[in-house]
This record gives sequence, C-alpha cells and structure tokens, in this order.
Amino acid sequence: MGSLTLVLRLVLADVRRHRAQAALLLLAVTVATATLASGWSLSDVNDALYERTRAATAGPDLVVLSGDTGRAVTSVLRTLADDREVVAHHGPYRVVYADLTTRGSLSSAVVVHGFAEKPAAVNRPLVTSGRWVRPGGTVLERGFATALGVEVGDDVTIAGRTYPVVGIAVTAATSIYPWAAQIGPGGGPSDYSGLAWMTVADARTLASSHDLPVTLAMDLKLRDPAATEAFRHSQHVTGVRVNFHSWQFRAQQDDVILKRSRPILVVGSWLLGLLAVTGVAALAAGRAAEQIRRAGLLKAVGATPGLIAAVLLTEYLALALAGDALGLLIARLALPAVASPTASRLGDPDGPTGAAVVAATVLALAVAALSTLRPTLRAVRTATVTALAAPVQQPRHRPWLTALSALLPTPLLLGLRLTARRPGRAVLQACCTATAVVAMVAVLTQHAQPERGYGLGGSSVLPNLRGEHDRQLLLAVTVLLLALAVVNTVTLTWTTAMEAQANLAIARTLGATPGQVTAGLSVAQLLAGLPGAIAGVPLGQGLLSIFAAPNAVDPPSSWLAGAVLVAVLATAALTALPARLLSRTSVARVLSAETA
Amino acid sequence: MNEPNAVLRARGLTRTHGQGQSRVLAVDEVSLDVPQGQTLAVTGPSGCGKSTLLHLLGGLERPTGGEVWVAGRRVDTLSERALARLRRRSVGFVFQSFHLVEELSAAENVELPALLAGRSRRQARRRAGLLLDRVGLAERARHLPSQLSGGQRQRVAIARALVNDPLVVLADEPTGNLDSAATLEVLRIFEELRAGGQTLVIVTHDDRVAATADRLISMRDGMFVDDTWLAGAHPRGLGGLIGLEG
Repeated sequence: MGSLTLVLRLVLADVRRHRAQAALLLLAVTVATATLASGWSLSDVNDALYERTRAATAGPDLVVLSGDTGRAVTSVLRTLADDREVVAHHGPYRVVYADLTTRGSLSSAVVVHGFAEKPAAVNRPLVTSGRWVRPGGTVLERGFATALGVEVGDDVTIAGRTYPVVGIAVTAATSIYPWAAQIGPGGGPSDYSGLAWMTVADARTLASSHDLPVTLAMDLKLRDPAATEAFRHSQHVTGVRVNFHSWQFRAQQDDVILKRSRPILVVGSWLLGLLAVTGVAALAAGRAAEQIRRAGLLKAVGATPGLIAAVLLTEYLALALAGDALGLLIARLALPAVASPTASRLGDPDGPTGAAVVAATVLALAVAALSTLRPTLRAVRTATVTALAAPVQQPRHRPWLTALSALLPTPLLLGLRLTARRPGRAVLQACCTATAVVAMVAVLTQHAQPERGYGLGGSSVLPNLRGEHDRQLLLAVTVLLLALAVVNTVTLTWTTAMEAQANLAIARTLGATPGQVTAGLSVAQLLAGLPGAIAGVPLGQGLLSIFAAPNAVDPPSSWLAGAVLVAVLATAALTALPARLLSRTSVARVLSAETA
Repeated sequence: MNEPNAVLRARGLTRTHGQGQSRVLAVDEVSLDVPQGQTLAVTGPSGCGKSTLLHLLGGLERPTGGEVWVAGRRVDTLSERALARLRRRSVGFVFQSFHLVEELSAAENVELPALLAGRSRRQARRRAGLLLDRVGLAERARHLPSQLSGGQRQRVAIARALVNDPLVVLADEPTGNLDSAATLEVLRIFEELRAGGQTLVIVTHDDRVAATADRLISMRDGMFVDDTWLAGAHPRGLGGLIGLEG
C-alpha cells in the first residue's frame, strides 16, 4: 500500500471516529470563508455590475452638469459637445427637481430627466419592464421603483400631477438609488432622490407649471473613454459653473452604499476565523493524549515522522479545504443579495473574485494550521515509548492559586483549580466570550445610530437602504459569531470536564456533591468568560472606531453593561448542561478506568 | 445475624453489570455487618466482586438490589448529593492507584476533603499537618505526588482518608502497587488505626494484609464463601453464610 493510500485510509478512519469534531471544523471554516469571500469580493463585484450596466445602456464617459439654465449654459454645453475628443453626445436635457408620491403615503424627492421618445446614441436607459417614455407617462428608475414598490401600470403623483408608470429602466448615467440627483438645484447639495424620465415636453411642462427648480445636463462619449480626467482638465469654461462626472467617478460612487458592508464582512470573517481556531484548538487539545498515542503506535510499526505529520495534518487540512469550497459556494449564492442592495444595476455577480478565493483559502488553511500544528508537532516529537504510554501533559502546581481557592466555597474552589489546571483553555474561553461581546457591541452601536430615511424630509417611510443593508449584514454575521461562540463554549466545557474527569471523580469520592461539581465546571468557564466579556466592550468599541463615521454615536453604557451580563449568563447556562451530564457519570467507573 | 453496633450493614446486596447475555453478576445477594472498630479483610480472586462490594458500601455505586446501612442510616436510597455528604463525613477511601490530585502537593491533597467538608483553611491545614506527621511524611508535605514514591503516595492517600475522622475507612487493594518495604509501612499504619479503634474494610490479595485483620471474608463469583473471625468470638464458616446455621 502506498504512503498516500495509507494516509488517506488513516485520515478517513479518524474522521469516522470523530465526526463531531470534523463537523465543527467544517462548519467553522465554511462560515468564516463564506463571509470573507463575500466581503472581499464586494468592490470588484460592484465594478462588474456597473460595467455591465454601462455597456447595456450606452453609458456616457462624462456627464456634464450645470446648476444653472439659460442660453449661456446651453452654449457652453454645446461647445463641449463640439470638442474633437467627443465622438457622441446626448443633451443638453432638463433635470427637474420635484416630489413624488405614490400609494398616498410614500413620498420621495425625485429628479425628472426630460428625454426624447427615440433613444439617443449615448445614455440609452435599458427598459427592463414596460416601455420607454411617451407623452403623459413616466418611466421610473428600477432601484427607485423597487424601493417604492411600484410596477408598470401603477400611478405616481409628481408635483401634484398624476402620471401612469409606463416603464421601468436602468441607466449608468446616474448613481444608484438614492443618489440619482447628482447636484442639487442651483448646483447646491442634493438630497436623497429617485430618478424618473418623461418626454422633453412633459418635463418642460412639469417644471414650468409648478415653477420647479431645473438644472441642465449633457452626456458625452469620448474618443478615449479612459481619458476623462485629461478631457476635464483641457476644458476652460468661464462664466458658467459646470461639473464633470466621469464614469470612473460613477463606479466609485456605487461603492458608497457598500462602504460599511465590506468591513462588516471582512472583520466579521476575522472574528469567525478566530472562533474557528479557538474551537478547533480546544478539540485538538482535548485529543492531544490520544493523538500522541496514535503517533506512538505508528512509530512503533515503522512510520516516519513525516508520514505521521502527514496523517495528523491531512485530516485538518482536508476538512479545512472542504469547508473553504463550501464557503466559496455559499458566497457565490449570497453575493447577489450582499453586493447589490438596490436594483439599480444590471445582472448578477459572477461569484467571488480570484483574490477573494485566495484570501478565503489562506484563511481556511490558517485556521487548520494554527489550531493543530502545535499538538501535531508535539505528537511527532514525543519518543515512541513515551507516546505509547499516552502521557497527559501534567498540569503545573500553582501553590498560591491553590491556597487562594482554599478560602473559597466549594464550587469556587473547584472552579478556580480547574481554571488553574489548563490556563490555555481559559484563554480560549476568554477569547470566545470576548468575540461574542464584540459582536453584540457592534449590533448595539449600529442600533444606536440616528438614521435618516429616504422619504421626504428624512422620513423613514422609505427606509435608509444603506442602514438596512448594513443592519442585515451585521445581524447575519453576529448570528454566525454567536452560534460559533455557543458551540465553542460547550466544546470548551466538555473538553475541560473530560480532562478533569478523574480529578472531579476524586473530589466526588471525597464528598463533593454533583451540584458542586457542576457549579465548579461552570465557574471555571465563567472565571475565564467574565474578563473576556468585560474586555469585549473596549475591544468592540476600538474595532468599530476604525470604521465608524466621525459623527457616530456611542450606545448607552447600560446597553454595554447589559451585553456583558448577557454574555456571562449565557456562558453559565451553556456550561451547565455538559457540566451536569459529566457530573452524573459513575465515580466508580471513572476511577476504574483511570486504574486500568 | 444483626450486630447492634454495626457501622456498616448490608442485606441481600446485589449488583449486576450489563444487560441480556452480557449481564454479569458482580455481587450476589451478600449480607454483612461490620461492627465499630473492626478491621475486615475481603479477599478473593480477581473479578470476584471485592471492589464492587467496597464501592457499594461506600456509596460510589448503587446496588441493583438489597440494602446498605451506614451508622444505622439506610444509604442505598439516598440522592447523589446526600451520598456525597455521607462520604464526606463518614467514609474515607484508599485506592490501589492512590488517586491523588497530581497538581496538588501532599498537604493540599490531604486537606482537600476537609475543605469540601466546610472546614476553614487553617483548620484543614493543621489537620493535614498532623496526619502527614502521623504517617511519617511531615517532611514531604510540599512535595507533589510525582515527587513521592508509591509507598509515600499511599500514605498520603491514607492521611487524606482520615482527615475528616470517618466512621469507616474503605481500602481497595491498598498495597497492590507497592513493594515489600512500602507494604510494611502501610501495614504499620493500618495496625495503628486498628489499635485506635478505627473501623477498616480492606479489599486485598495480600495475605500479609489479610493477616492483620480481625475478620476475613473470602469472595468468589460475587458471593461470600468464608467468613472467619480471626481475633473475635464470632467465627462464622461457610455454613453460616449460606444460612445453614443460626
């Protein structure tokens, strides 16, 4: 039998024997890599969506905007269109600022573009539903229509006049909803706005009948689409104020809605990775004695250290890579929802980018290596005879902790001594609880932020899409983090209890009640969890401060104290069940097994 | 036969392991009275049920049938919590494998049951010091079990068993892992305990240990096959055990 076959057979046999551990590693790596791949791909995916929309709608290379109207502006715009670098243009056309109401209560600011009924060479919005503008009817931008819940055939009221929605379309000439108004009236700042198209005549009538603010815009196609900056700098417009919005700028603007999504996902994936390492390291440490004995057996029958390392590491690496593949698949399925919170762009993302695939794979391998390298090296380095005796690493004598615990009630005495036996395990528990609290602090901080809706005057009738999207992503990441933290806490309690089983059996022989042993095990996790929970608050705040807006609001202290309390109580509750199960094991059986 | 001052009493004590065809009768309806101050040795081949009997008497295992009484109180019906309290106050255990807590020093091991019984640290430490002195290990109080010989570890275990002044000490093969010199040290301590009126139940293979007892019970296949009072006035042979006498 070749070495590879032997390694595979041994790995498969071990996976079959330790299915729960394999499942935990698979789950942890899957969620971490799915989150990382999604976060890592966002920017590139957004660029791809913009590019696809631009190609499908003959998107302009430059949009020239003026806050003013009149002959002077029109003259300047026409001069620009005549530049030899310009190969095609559309406009100038009117941009009318109005209010739109539908279903009686949904109100939003809207910019109305006056377009010809016949599509132009540049900026040809792609109709995805219904038809293009016709007199008396309006076409709504798809992201805007989706937010309003409006479909073709519905009526909308713009500046007090009702129009049937004859079509729904997308364009690459403006930013995604709700940033369709690229400049405000008079060239000033713009508010959250949707986009609607009407015929040129209808737009003129709308503006004049209600004396609405109007600006002018023109779309340009350049000989060299990449040379938008050079074109802009070559123009010396005087007497009239104009803004140039390049297609590159537009693509960047699309990222604004995902500004906080990427850190939520990427930082979330780091934390998920940390929890994955914590959980798998706890399980690997719990199996250390067994792995050393296994290594001893293999050495005894002639296996080289390299083969043994391959057997021990291949299992974790293979599971990590399987988790990585699953995570990338989930990221591919989740990306359309994650990367495109509005319906303003065309198409679905292709899936995680190459860089995201590499990053996720590195994360998966790092989780496997960090959590298992040390026990593997220890197993490989242990002498064969020693390994066959399956030695358990003897806990250190800690006289001052033992003396301190002697002053405490029995559950605290047992808990403190259990913590002192395996301080590394306590550190893992602290990391686990701290991570859970970091996630809770993030959710509470998000909840504390004041949010302006997209409705008129900041009304939340039309919710803030960016806030909603961030909230949903944060909630999803937090749920994943808390779920892994729960699994880890139970795992850590179980491995702590299993390792201390003989000592706890001795304590019970000497008169400790099952209740005291249960409480002792819970206390051991709490002693580690409490500092972790307390540290989680400043850690969470520090982490958030890196990405938070300058005017971000801190959540009330009582909320943060509540998060710490919830984490501690949850830890106590989660540890109680495995602790109770183990405290019910027959003392005689445990002691007999130790003797054997 | 009822001993009026029995510290330990068992009636029809039965313990089975496993189910169906793999069912093993470890202890088969044995009855026993151990009076105050008696040293009882239980001998028999491996697997005859000696250790299981000891576990049943000390409340470490629950019987499948029968009754166990400690100091006049029926204990086989007690909750786990009550059993733990009973062991804390009334029963001291000594095991063949010592079962010391490896990360605690000799003194810390001895004082552990006292702390579990609610004694102050000072009281527990003083009591542990006295007992370690009594078993000749005062100089080794700060040593970890891994730094002690087998005989020394067993003497620490005996000191630990005595720390709460138990009514009875149950010793399971206490010399099973010891060399001759260490066995003699342990026997000397047991002799002192016997002389001091401590009730002792010792499960052993070692004839030298059995010879120090007041009474010797032989077991086979979970049953008593002989019960000999070596120094007392109530010898009871096989006939008595199987109900042909009295």
